[in-house]
Amino acid sequence: MSGAVKIKPTVYLVFGPFLLILLIFPLVINAPIHLDMFITFCIMAGLGCAWNIVGGYGGQFSIGHGAFFGIGAYTSTLLYLRLGVSPWIGMLCGGTLAAVVSLAIFWPCFRLRGIFFTMASLAFAEIVMVLSVYWQSLTNGNVGLLILYDPKLVNFMFDSKASYAYTAVIYMLVVFGISVAVENTKLGSHLTAVREDEEAAESLGVGSTRYKAYAMMISAFFTAIGGTILAQYTQFIDPDTLFDVALSVRFALLAIIGGIATAAGPIVGSLIMTPLDTLLRGSLGGHFSGLGLFVYGIFLILFVLLLPEGVMKWIREKVFPTINKLPELSLPWKRAEQAEIHTSPAKPVPVAMRPGETLLDMLDISKFFGGLSALSDVSMSIREGEIVGLIGPNGAGKTTLFNVIDGYYKPDKGTIRLGNEDITRVSPPHKICSRGIGRTFQIVKPFRNISVFENVLVGSWQKHSSGKAARAGTREILEFVDLERCSDLPGSNLTISDRKRLELARALATGPRLLLLDEVMAGLNPTEIREMIRLVKRISSEMHITLLIIEHNMKAIMALSQRIVVLDYGAKIAEGTPEEIVRNEAVIKAYLGEEYLQHVASA
Amino acid sequence: MTGAVQLILNGILLGGIYALISMGLTLIFGVMKVVNFAHGEFLMLAMYCSFWLQYYFGVHPYLSVVFIIPAAFVVGLLVQKGLIQRLVGSTDFAQIFATVGLMIVLQNGALLLWTADFRNFQGGSGAQSIQIAGCLISQSRLIILAAAVLVMTGLVLFLKKTHTGRAMRATSQNGTAAWLMGINVNRVYMIAFGLGTVCVGIAGAMLLPVYSVFPTVGSYFVLIAFVVVVLGGMGDIVGAFVAGIMVGLIETVGGYLLAPRLGVLCVFVLFVLMLLFLPSGIRFKKRSTVASR
Repeated sequence: MSGAVKIKPTVYLVFGPFLLILLIFPLVINAPIHLDMFITFCIMAGLGCAWNIVGGYGGQFSIGHGAFFGIGAYTSTLLYLRLGVSPWIGMLCGGTLAAVVSLAIFWPCFRLRGIFFTMASLAFAEIVMVLSVYWQSLTNGNVGLLILYDPKLVNFMFDSKASYAYTAVIYMLVVFGISVAVENTKLGSHLTAVREDEEAAESLGVGSTRYKAYAMMISAFFTAIGGTILAQYTQFIDPDTLFDVALSVRFALLAIIGGIATAAGPIVGSLIMTPLDTLLRGSLGGHFSGLGLFVYGIFLILFVLLLPEGVMKWIREKVFPTINKLPELSLPWKRAEQAEIHTSPAKPVPVAMRPGETLLDMLDISKFFGGLSALSDVSMSIREGEIVGLIGPNGAGKTTLFNVIDGYYKPDKGTIRLGNEDITRVSPPHKICSRGIGRTFQIVKPFRNISVFENVLVGSWQKHSSGKAARAGTREILEFVDLERCSDLPGSNLTISDRKRLELARALATGPRLLLLDEVMAGLNPTEIREMIRLVKRISSEMHITLLIIEHNMKAIMALSQRIVVLDYGAKIAEGTPEEIVRNEAVIKAYLGEEYLQHVASA
Repeated sequence: MTGAVQLILNGILLGGIYALISMGLTLIFGVMKVVNFAHGEFLMLAMYCSFWLQYYFGVHPYLSVVFIIPAAFVVGLLVQKGLIQRLVGSTDFAQIFATVGLMIVLQNGALLLWTADFRNFQGGSGAQSIQIAGCLISQSRLIILAAAVLVMTGLVLFLKKTHTGRAMRATSQNGTAAWLMGINVNRVYMIAFGLGTVCVGIAGAMLLPVYSVFPTVGSYFVLIAFVVVVLGGMGDIVGAFVAGIMVGLIETVGGYLLAPRLGVLCVFVLFVLMLLFLPSGIRFKKRSTVASR
């Protein structure tokens, strides 16, 4: 296949011209005030993008990023002033130092719930400030540090503002590029999953702490680099301006106004706020110091309350579709020949298995919550290719058993083996997932603010390493569970039956050998239950996945299971074929009731 | 020996200030589960209010409490009605950034109106001290400690003995259930926020003889207040009092051992450790808490 290169209208009408303006502006504009504004715009946009990586995609709302900014500015400046190291090198040192510090400080803090993380970040910034003021011999304390103007490339100081402007443009574009990369790779996908629901993300094989740490380090690194650039530009740094809470909030504000967790959001935010800021400062600021930040604060409140998703949401929904109706631009030159990849609607590749061999073996599992024994000496094994039902009254310990298997709880007693491996002590859940056990949750946990496709993609990275393969795998799974019709809808917009399918799809995408299904029929109507039974059967027969199913719907469990295990008060009271279970005295007494037997007999 | 006693006394007196500032914050958090990053700015406003009352009308800061209590309550009601009410039960994102926004607005509003100048209490009594067994006790700090004890007692009695107080405790445990039991939850929220603001208002007036007032005075105290609230167990009034004293002691003793400026560092380090290992705070008597745990 060959054809002319086509360019979308949004690219030639919006992104292209914007890039062109960025490149031309410093050449044609000479007024210092406008260049100042331009440089501030770029640096702040870059800083907003850097904040957005951990704050937006990761949902870790730091208001202590000023500390990284300060670390960057101080490191490069001190290295330059005291040791004569070029700020270019100092910039990288500062970035690295900030990344290391961020890891050391925030690694333990990732366990904290939202607001506590924010408090910790605030305290962290305060600590860095107190230290920078206290350590006078090094930092000159409150007085600050002055960099003597000596324009040389190696000194990171230039004799024209245009050079600074280009540096700032490059900085912004690099951080923007990193954001785009984060958004479109495994890192972004997993980060978003962790932000939306940590437990569900873990069950899909996502190591939550690790991804938060990556995001934090990248964010700290680029925030520190922004600090160096600004220090080189203003040639003066002091603790008061660097560590001001308002500065840290500003990074976040740009992302929020533009559109949090969108790559272009902080740039749009800076495009709105920087001119406004300059205006307020330039025309009135002399008499009214504080007015700029006063307006910032009002913007922040209004956006959070009225437009929490920022301007980008509006642009994406209203502006882009309109522009995209315009014709595409056809360029005369030909695109290189490309081998057409036909993603045939092939069925997902079935798992290799050895039917009949024991896959999961649990021996004498006990779990106590305080004095309550939720599970006592439960032993059961599942053979490859089987569908095993797990039933019992409410509170019998069924879900607890799932949580023990997937590493959410550690059993107090007993061993669990998967194949030849002892997985009793393996936790957290993402490590269990990577060993081939997937699960769904009784109360469905869709990632609410990302699309169905992106939901399933999170699981797909577990199985595929390249983005292309992961996306193809996602499409296959969506087709398999019949969800491709709503693949662009956000997870929160699905009906209950589709949410159950989504849970299934996500778990299937990880390519499990064993799948634990926790009440996938609950809340469905009879038609939907019939469809779900068919789907579960196909998972077993076409994908060759072994299944352990918790279910209260007796019709479903009887239709599906080859073997049934019954729990009551945490103990196993029966095990056998559906026919045996239906007639088992103990089961009838504990769970089914006499009426069920009569019902079955009469049917 | 006297030195050590003096150090501990100083710590306790500093702690009294922290306790007084933090009790309003813990009440608001306990009842509404909303974190108010702008709490320190209400302190700043109260300090300015007290300062101007003295400047223009010669009202002594201790007396200005009479004016500040109703004013703070009304301000609290308005802020609750206009902003905080929308944040109840909302995401962390909205709570954090809306109240941070309010913080920035109030700080810079004050900067616009009253400039960045440090303003001080006019009158000598701030420096007066009582001497007991060789130890110096600052009179105004002692008064703050007394006020903290009074506010604590008042709040605990209010929560335990009055109908509204009981409604408040019920709401804090489960807002929906309280609502179903016929409690006007929104009214409870308004009163809780109003009371929280009143507490910090009293703190502001009491603080003026000891501290200068300037637009960002609140952001220093709010961080300390968070430490105190978390340490005391969020929503725990008596806990906040005890934790306040503890933080005061740690800052003073830490500052003595390391360097005066680094005392506050010990507090923040403790705070981060606290968040990690004891996120529900140190358990004090359960009866004094308004929050469910």
